[in-house]
Amino acid sequence: MKSYDAAVIGGGVLGCFALRSLCRYRLSAVLIEAQADVCMGVTRANSAIVYAGYDNKPGSLKARMCVRANRHFHELCSELDVPFSRCGSLMTSCGEKGNAVLEKKYRDGIANGLEGLELISGDKARKMEPMLSRDVQSALYAPMTGTVNPWRLGIAACENAVQNGAELRLNTKLLAIKETDGGYILHTDREDIFCKAVINCAGLSAHVVQRMVYPCAVSIEKDAADFLVMDRDIEKPSRIIFQEKEDGKGITAVPCTEGNLLVDSAPRAMTRPYATSAEGIESIKKQLTALLPELEQDIIRTFAALRPNPHSEDGRSINDFCIETPAPGFVSLIGIKTPGLTCAEELGRYVAGICAEYLQAPPNPAFDGHRQAIDCADGDIVCLCEGISRAEIVESIRRGARTVEAVKRRVGTGMGRCQGSRCEIKIAQILETYSNGTL
Amino acid sequence: MEHYDILIVGGGAAGISAAKSAKGKKVLLAEREEKLGGILLQCAHRGFGGDLSGMEYAATLTAGLDNVKVSLNTTVLSINCDKTALLSQKDSGRRKISFSRLILATGAMEIAAGALPIAGDRPKGVYTAGMMQKLVNCQGFAPDGPVVILGSGDIGLIMAAAIAKMDIPVTLVEKEAALGGMARNRRRLDGLSVDMVLNSTVAEIFGERELEAVLLSSGEKLPCKTLLVAVGLECDRKLIRKLENPEWLRLCGNCERVHPMIESVINDGTQAGEWACGI
Repeated sequence: MKSYDAAVIGGGVLGCFALRSLCRYRLSAVLIEAQADVCMGVTRANSAIVYAGYDNKPGSLKARMCVRANRHFHELCSELDVPFSRCGSLMTSCGEKGNAVLEKKYRDGIANGLEGLELISGDKARKMEPMLSRDVQSALYAPMTGTVNPWRLGIAACENAVQNGAELRLNTKLLAIKETDGGYILHTDREDIFCKAVINCAGLSAHVVQRMVYPCAVSIEKDAADFLVMDRDIEKPSRIIFQEKEDGKGITAVPCTEGNLLVDSAPRAMTRPYATSAEGIESIKKQLTALLPELEQDIIRTFAALRPNPHSEDGRSINDFCIETPAPGFVSLIGIKTPGLTCAEELGRYVAGICAEYLQAPPNPAFDGHRQAIDCADGDIVCLCEGISRAEIVESIRRGARTVEAVKRRVGTGMGRCQGSRCEIKIAQILETYSNGTL
Repeated sequence: MEHYDILIVGGGAAGISAAKSAKGKKVLLAEREEKLGGILLQCAHRGFGGDLSGMEYAATLTAGLDNVKVSLNTTVLSINCDKTALLSQKDSGRRKISFSRLILATGAMEIAAGALPIAGDRPKGVYTAGMMQKLVNCQGFAPDGPVVILGSGDIGLIMAAAIAKMDIPVTLVEKEAALGGMARNRRRLDGLSVDMVLNSTVAEIFGERELEAVLLSSGEKLPCKTLLVAVGLECDRKLIRKLENPEWLRLCGNCERVHPMIESVINDGTQAGEWACGI
């Protein structure tokens, strides 16, 4: 049985950063992921926002981490060579109730130590974003809000961890955990693994994983949200637009680093996992017309997201990050929702720190946090919509992509208007040629 | 910088025809694939120029191109208003060329499932009909049945016939009260076992990883393992999006408007070639 100092369960963006952070210490680490690639669950369908930190209650862990993480986000993304756009955001309101929400968020933001936050009039908001509806009365402007591609960030963190000696076990489903002398035996559908410490980043199943060996008072309910992706070529706002309606949170429109506008809805009840709802999509379109009337709704894809919504035993929704340590060598991140993506590195570093302290692992002086994005090209253009060449695809395979989807999420093939219908056959052929282990 | 009198983008039927009629000029025909023919190369069905298959017809079409410089494996990345174009060729990389006239013959693109208001899961097994046509006719692939085809235009009809001939159960779903497409393509279904559901569309997809079923707007749930989307084509004009109808540009073939008949594409291409020579 293979033995490690620390094992991370779950390869979402949180697990990837936990693994990378473990590499900052002198220890052996492994990540176990049930799917064929990392970042295939909650991370795959995420609103891609790097929050400023005005949404969170002053003094909460979320507020502290979010503000700090946002400040360092540029640094993190340049270290990992991932595109980050600090495009700023406008939270808009069209009525008195909304205006009051904006004022409260402004006060919370100031209390959380945010700089540059501004409450502005509808007219001023329209000067910044001329596409905004005449109905917008006021807006909360946050210049520090940004956007990052969630899976690109997670994959970059994972690649960097592997560069630093961590191991990755994909297609490996955890079945049971047994506490044993000096650690845990992880029973998987492949082989058993021994580890001295566990970091549980199992996302929607984090409570289930903890209950494999310890009680867990927190339960996770799944909230869903629908998303629309617009063609890159439409005219769109340059900042993230949040819609605060008189009856609560509305839609969010994010000009992504890839150039598409991503529009999502407020959370709704889940029907089937990752299944979109027709009503949900119709409702986004309607709200988008109200918010940005001139926008050409040129939709190229719709998808649904799931968000872990943590509840306490008495059924109340928990409004902060839940970090549990049911035993000294076992840390769980449970129900990490917004601003989980923003705080992924902070959270990873925090849980890896707990783990390293338990293991009494000293810092690893050889740790190198720099990773380079795929930066090669040849003349053979495979993905016509996005102009991606064969050389980039081959490099993504060299870095571990084994499916058309995995290639897509590393180099962006199939993300354009034809949604892969013109290039997927070629990509499958390239995968066949290069992924047989001889590379 | 290399200069051409005429740059033709796209080596399908329209581009080839334009190149043939552009006599006496220095012409560059840029084709992104390794062979000329465009969409004809994935058409195994007969009915081109009499009774040829698309593949056979492409071969007859390309004869007589001797005086034209054909650049295969070459994607045109951009076209600029100063009459230059950036080309990317498989083995030689990028190069910029200049031209006097441009003929765009980039064809049309299928509307992908993502653009449609279909709710539900996003499993494997959902393709555009054209992608499946290429898989079947050029890769020897057979779709997992049962197959549902959404849209009974020409491509939907041709694929329904091709799949039925493989003895794979297939259902055509059409939102109108009657089948679409040309009569000669509707006749392809004669004597074949193809189920049809009219006045209906696909409302929802089921199957977390693999496609399991589609729910129709009529309320009927059809179990299936493959869904082909054949709802239409849109002209591929991405390359000239930022140009404002310059007098040196002409569109021909399916990027100008979708032509149901190959003869009409060829005619259009021929005229474009003559235009480019005439001015």
